[in-house]
Parts: sequence; C-alpha cells; structure tokens
Amino acid sequence: MASLDNKSPQEISDLLDEYGIKHGPVVGTTKSLYVKKLKEAMAKGKKAKPSSDKTYYREEEEEVTYVYRTPSKSETSGDGGSYMRSRREWAEGEYGHDTSYSSYSSSRPEYKGRDLVDEPYMYDTPSTYSSNSYAKPMKSEPVKPKAQKSSRLIPLWLQFVFFLALAAFLYLVFSNMEANEAIKGIV
Amino acid sequence: MSSTSQKHKEFVAEPMGEKPVMALAGIGEVLGGKLEEKGFDKAYVVLGQFLVLKKDEELFRDWLKDTCGANAKQQRDCYGCLKEWCDAFL
Repeated sequence: MASLDNKSPQEISDLLDEYGIKHGPVVGTTKSLYVKKLKEAMAKGKKAKPSSDKTYYREEEEEVTYVYRTPSKSETSGDGGSYMRSRREWAEGEYGHDTSYSSYSSSRPEYKGRDLVDEPYMYDTPSTYSSNSYAKPMKSEPVKPKAQKSSRLIPLWLQFVFFLALAAFLYLVFSNMEANEAIKGIV
Repeated sequence: MSSTSQKHKEFVAEPMGEKPVMALAGIGEVLGGKLEEKGFDKAYVVLGQFLVLKKDEELFRDWLKDTCGANAKQQRDCYGCLKEWCDAFL
C-alpha cells in the first residue's frame, strides 16, 4: 500500500473517485478521514473502477422501461439528419435535465431512445412542431392506462356507486325536512 | 420524526453565533473537550466541517467518531441538529 498520507489532496480525491466513495473537498480536516476510508476500501479489495461515462449506462438502462418508440421513427426520419448533432451534444450534456424534462409531459420518454431524443428539440423548430404534436396524443395513450389502473385502491365504479348512494340519501333527508315556503317547489 | 432533545430544540431555534461546541446536541462535556483539543472550539467550526463534508450523514458521522469517539446516538443527534440548523438558516 503506497503511503496514502503522503499523497496530495488531488491524488486522494482521484483515488476516492476510483473507489466510488462519495466525498467533499480534501482539506486539512478531512484528509485523515478520507485516507482512512481509502485504506478500508483497499483492505476490502479493490472495487471496480467506475468509468466516467457511467451516466451513459444509466440512460440506456432507463431506455428499456419504455417499449413504445416505433411510430416516431418514420416521422422524424426526414429531420433526423440535422438533429443528430444536437442529440449527441445533448446526450453528453447535464443529466440534471432529467428533472426539468419530466415537467414536460410529452418529452418524458425522449431521452431514453436514440430516435426519440430528437423530440425535445422540436420545441425550438416550428417545422417539426406538427410531428411533435401529432406524436403527443399517441404517446400519452400507452402511459395513461398504465397510470390509471395502478393508482386506484378502490375501483372507480365503486366510488361512483358510493357517491350516488350518498346523493340519494341526502336527497331523502332533504325532502323529509319540514318544508318552508321557499323550497316547496323542490320537494 | 424522532423525538428531539431540549438541547436540539434550543440549538436549531436561532443562529448559533459564538455558541460553544458543547451546545450541539449529542456533544457533552467529554466529547466537547476532545473536539476543543482538536481545534473545534466553537459550534460554527464543527458546522464548517459539516459543510465541507457536504452535509453527508455518513461522512460526518464517521468524522465525528474518529475525532472525538462519539457513539452512534451522539453522532445521530449531532448530525440531526446541524442538519436542521442548516435547513433553517443556511
């Protein structure tokens, strides 16, 4: 084991990254803590070095969850050429965009598929807007029924039945009250 | 949320200013003394360390254990105290 104590903060930081240990800056007060952590990690046996493009895998992993992607292929084939560049730039960019894109209902699946990644850029270009809006209703369909079915504990029809029963009950109560002049017409 | 001590409540109720390190929840006389020996004589210095460790629970608790020998409960109390203070004032 090379003497970790003699390493520079930068080297220690790099070693921590190699072992995948989450850490802050290596300063005077944190150095000994991180050195200790590195020694523990080394003693356990070297974990696999995570590659710097790990996030690419994460993206591809999520890609699998969305099966739907075929219709947009034909639509965007014509526009594919100019957008390939922007797709690549965007794919290498911040993945923090995940959260911002999730707020756009139609762009959810986009960053998963290679072909669908073109979609977000359609916001900027009016020429492809039509294909984007065309894709929207179709896209939401496969997602909606899934969400609806899974979110209800009590079936919808049962809720309606209860509601109607409650309404009928209230009506009965209301109609059997001492009637004033004003509500005679209702009962 | 688990129950918090009086010390915790008092600490997170206002900016820490020049409060001694023993004002932190989980840090009593003994631990406070050890921290002071290492140079962490005020609560804000420990806060500095907490922030440098990116407010990470595991790192901070490890550090606390190494520096003054705090047990799990003391670590938890101190971390919780600082975290809540940061949420309120940082």
